Amino acid sequence: MIVSWNWLKQYVNLDMSHDELVDRLTMSGLNHEGTENIDGDRAIDLEVTSNRPDCLGHLGVAREIAVLFDTPLTIPDPQPAEDADPITDHCSVEILCPEKCFRYTARLIRGVKIGPSPDWMLDRLETIGVTPVNNVVDISNYVMFECGQPLHAFDFAKVTDGKIIVRAGQDKEKIEAIDHRSYELQPTDCVIADSSVPVAVGGVMGGADSEINDATTDVLVEAAYFDQLCIRNTARRLKLFSPSSFRFERDVDSAGIDWASRRCCELILEHAGGKLCSGVIDVGQQPTPPQPIVLRMSQIERLLGIKIDESTAARILAALGLDVSAQSVESITATPPSFRKDLTREVDLVEEVGRIYGYDQIPDNVNVPMSASIKQDSERTLDKIRGVLTACGYDEALTASVIPDVWSQTFSPWTDQPPHQISQPMLGVLEKASQNVGAVDRLRRSIVPSLLEVRRINEYKFNSDVHLFETAKVYLPSSSGLPDEPWKIALVSDNDFFHVKGTIEALVSHINPDSTLTTHTCDYDIFDADKSCELQLGGKTLGFVGEISAAGKRSFGLRRRAIAAEIDFAVLAETAVIIPQFEHMSSYPPVTRDFNFIVENAIRWEALESTVQQSGGELLESISFKEIFRDTDKDGADKKRVLLSVVLRSANDTLTGDQADAVSNDIIANCQKQHGATLVTS
Amino acid sequence: MPLAEFLEALESTATDAVQAFNDANSNETLETARVEFLGAKNGRLKTVQKQMGTVENDNKKTAGQKLNETKQQIQSAFEDAKNRLTGGTGVIRDPNFDATLPGRLFRVGRLHPITQTIEELKDIMGRLGFTTAGGPEIEDQFHNFNALNIPESHPARDPLDNFYIRVAEQTTDSDDNLMLLRSQTSTVQIRVMENTPPPVRIISLGRVYRPDTADATHYPMFHQMEGLWVDTNVTLADLKTVLQLFATNYLGGSVPVRIRPSFFPFTEPSVEADYFWDGRWVEFGGAGVVDPNVLKAVGYDPEKVSGFAFGLGVERLCMIRHQIKDIRDLFTNEVRFLHQF
Repeated sequence: MIVSWNWLKQYVNLDMSHDELVDRLTMSGLNHEGTENIDGDRAIDLEVTSNRPDCLGHLGVAREIAVLFDTPLTIPDPQPAEDADPITDHCSVEILCPEKCFRYTARLIRGVKIGPSPDWMLDRLETIGVTPVNNVVDISNYVMFECGQPLHAFDFAKVTDGKIIVRAGQDKEKIEAIDHRSYELQPTDCVIADSSVPVAVGGVMGGADSEINDATTDVLVEAAYFDQLCIRNTARRLKLFSPSSFRFERDVDSAGIDWASRRCCELILEHAGGKLCSGVIDVGQQPTPPQPIVLRMSQIERLLGIKIDESTAARILAALGLDVSAQSVESITATPPSFRKDLTREVDLVEEVGRIYGYDQIPDNVNVPMSASIKQDSERTLDKIRGVLTACGYDEALTASVIPDVWSQTFSPWTDQPPHQISQPMLGVLEKASQNVGAVDRLRRSIVPSLLEVRRINEYKFNSDVHLFETAKVYLPSSSGLPDEPWKIALVSDNDFFHVKGTIEALVSHINPDSTLTTHTCDYDIFDADKSCELQLGGKTLGFVGEISAAGKRSFGLRRRAIAAEIDFAVLAETAVIIPQFEHMSSYPPVTRDFNFIVENAIRWEALESTVQQSGGELLESISFKEIFRDTDKDGADKKRVLLSVVLRSANDTLTGDQADAVSNDIIANCQKQHGATLVTS
Repeated sequence: MPLAEFLEALESTATDAVQAFNDANSNETLETARVEFLGAKNGRLKTVQKQMGTVENDNKKTAGQKLNETKQQIQSAFEDAKNRLTGGTGVIRDPNFDATLPGRLFRVGRLHPITQTIEELKDIMGRLGFTTAGGPEIEDQFHNFNALNIPESHPARDPLDNFYIRVAEQTTDSDDNLMLLRSQTSTVQIRVMENTPPPVRIISLGRVYRPDTADATHYPMFHQMEGLWVDTNVTLADLKTVLQLFATNYLGGSVPVRIRPSFFPFTEPSVEADYFWDGRWVEFGGAGVVDPNVLKAVGYDPEKVSGFAFGLGVERLCMIRHQIKDIRDLFTNEVRFLHQF
C-alpha cells in the first residue's frame, strides 16, 4: 500500500520526521518497504499484512499514526445534499447470488459535468501512482484509497431499464472490460448486469460500455460487499487484478459501505456538479454488529512476558477505535470497530496492546529453564553414515524431490506403483541440457536418477573424481492414507563396482561390525546385467549396486563409467549398534595361513568363504580375499585360482603349529569336498 | 670350540669390518657393511658371538673380554666412517629423498553446505533444549492447513500456491483427502503435539515446497527450521530470548535481533524477526505465540499452556554465512562447489 505524506496530513498531524514515522510504523506492523519523493510529496510504501485490510486506505494508516504518536485523528463526515427526486423512481437493484454478493448499495447523481479533477486530488493520486481519468472516476478511486472500500461509477444511461441485477455469470457470456479486452465469464463469477447484458465483473472491473465518458450526465455509484473467495477466484482466472479485487479479496467493512458511498457522492457533487437523488438503494445483508471482548490483564503477562497496566491498555484499545465499556485492574471489556474484523478473541486484543506498547519493550534476556534435549538413534545413525561416506571420499549432494517422468521410469526398485504426480511442475530446476526431458512433476521413487543427472552435469563441467551420495526420502504411493516416505542412501561414483560395493560393506560394518551382507542377483535395465547385484542384510533387501549399463548411460548422457547404488536406511539402521560394548581382546599372537585353491569358474566367492568360515571354527579370526588368477595353460579354461588368507588366533593361549595345521587341513578338506577345490602346492 | 679358534674368528671379523668401513664411500656402501658386520640377526659379529656358547667354560671370561673389545672396535670403525660420510652430524643423508613432493592424495568427501548448516542449527538448538522431530513431506489438508488455523477461504490454500498431489480424475475424494507437498514445516508442530502431552520443546528441519520458479533467490524446494516450545508460562519474551541466543550463536558476536508485528494464521501475536547484519535489518523468519486455535486443534488447553513457534529459512542462513549468491548453486551439486565447504 503506497500512502501519500501530504494526504495523510489531512487526517493526522505529521510533526515527526519521516524516518521516525516509518520506523514506528514498521515496528507496529506496517513494514516500511521504501519511500520515493514525488513533486513535493512522499510516496511511502508500506507492507500491509492480510489481516489488516483497514490499512488499505489512508484513513487506516492515519489511525495507526494517531495511536502511535498519541495525536488526534480527523475523519471527514460526508453529508451530501439530496435532491427531492427519489432514486427508486429511476433505479432498482436485485441480488440473485447472495453467496457471492452480500450487500449492494446504489446512489444516483443526475446532471454531472465530466471534466478534469481538481489539482490537489490529481497530485495525491499521482503520488500513489494512480493514473487520472476524469473527475468522477478519479473520485471513486480517491475514496477507495481513502477508506479502503472499492466503489464503481456507472454511466447510468447505459444501464438498460435502470436495473442492476447481481447474478452469477452465464457460461460463455462475454464482457468487454474498461481495459478494452474481452473476458469470458462463467457461473463461479459474480456479474453486475442490467436487464440485458453484464455491465461489470463484480468487485473486479467495470465494463467498457457503461464506463464514465465525457458525454455522461447521470452517474450510478456502486458501493458493495462481495465474497472474498469469489473475487479471488475470478481475478485469478481472468488474470485481472485491480486495486478493487485486491481489497475485496482481503475483505472490506460492510458497515463502512455507506460512508464510502456518501463520501464519493459528496465529492462528485462538489467537483462535477449534478444533483443527488434522495435515498439509497441498499439490498442484501446488513452488517452484524461486533461483539464485546473481555481482556484479562493477566493474559498480557502470560503471553507477552511483560506487565502492561490496564489504563495504558485501555487507552491503546480506545485509540485503535474499540469501544471500551468496562475497565478494572483485572480486565477490560471492549468492542472492536466494524473495520477490525481481525479482532474477535481475547488473544487478538493482547496482540493489539502489545504491538502498540512496543515489542522492543519485551526483554530478550529472560531465564530460559534448562531441558535436556535428546538425540534420536536414527539421527546418530544418519550422522555415522554421512561420516563414513565422506571418509570414503564421497561428496554429499542435495537434489530436488521431484523429477521428470522419463527419469522416474529408469529405476524404481522399491515399488511398482506409478509415482505421484504434482498439480503443477517445478519450474527452472533443470540445467539447460536437460530441459527437453519433460515436465518436472513426479515425486521420485529413487534418488539414483537425480544423482546420475548431477554426474552428467559434472562430466559436462570437466570435473573428474566425481563421487556423490545423497541421503533423502523417496515417495512410495500407498494404498491408503499418506504415501510412505522411507529414507534412502544413494551413491554414484567414478570408481569400479567393487570399490562402491566395498564402500557399502564399510558402511554396514561401521554401523554393526557383526553384520553379514549377502549378495543376490538383480535385474534392472539401468544396470549392467553382470556387474550388478542386490544386497541383503539379515534376509532383508538392503539395496542395490551396479554399473550403469550402456542404455542407462545413454538415458542420462553419461560418457564415463558410473557405478550407482541405493540402500534403505531403515534396514541398515535396524542393525545399528548405538553403544558398542567392550569385548575381550586376545593377548596371544595370530597365525596367518594362505591358501591358493584351484576351483571351477562357477564357484562363487561367497560359497567358498562360507565353507572356510565354517571350517575355521572358533580359532578363525578373519578371512581375506587376495586375488583371482587364471592360468588356463596349467588349469584349463574353466578353472580359476582363488588366493585367500585366514588369520587364526586363540583367546586362551599361543597357537601351536599343530593347532594351526589342524584348522588348515579342515579348510582344505572341506573346500575339496564341497567345491572340488584343490590346493596349489608348489 | 677352542678358544684360539674363537679369538681368530673375532680377529678376522674385526679386520674385515675395519677394512669395509674404511672403504665405505657412500651411504649405501656403509649401510651394506653395517648389515654385514653389525646386523642384529645375521651380522658376522653376531654369528661369532653365537659360537661363544661352545667355548670351554674356563675360557669363557677371556672370550667375553675379547668379544667386547672387538665389538667396540668395529662399532667405533663404523662411527668413524659414518662421521666421515655425514660431515660429523651423525645423520646419514639421502640426497634422493625430496620431502617437498606432495603427499599421497587422500580424498575426503564433504557434507553439503545445507547439511552442515542444519547440523549447526540442530547443535545450537540442542544446547537450548530443543529435541529434533520429523514429519512427512506429503501432508493432508488437516495438518498443512486446518489444524494450523488456516481457513478454507485463505489464499494460502490456493492451488497456484501449492504443489497438490494429483489424483485420478474419476475420484470422488473430497477436498479433505487431497494431499500436497507441505508448504511449511509447521505441520510437524501439529504431528508432535497430537502425540505428545505438553511440555514440548522441539525443532524440525526439512524440505518444504512452494511453486516459485527457480532463480537466484528462489527455488521451489527449500529447507526450513521450525521451532516449537509449549509449556506453562512460555511467553513472547522467551521467544525473543531464544532467537537472540540463537543469533548470537550462529552469527557470532553481538548481532542485534528485533521482532515486529506480522500476521500468520497459526500464531497470535505474530511477529517477524530480523537481525542486524552488514548495516541493515535482514529477515530471519516468522514467529509468534501459538494461536489458541492451534492448541485446541491438538487437544491442548490454551488456558493452561502457552508457547511459541518460529520458522526460519535454512538456505538463507547458509547463504549469508558462506556468501553464496545464487541459491541454484546449492542444488546443482558441482563437485567444485561442494568442495568449497
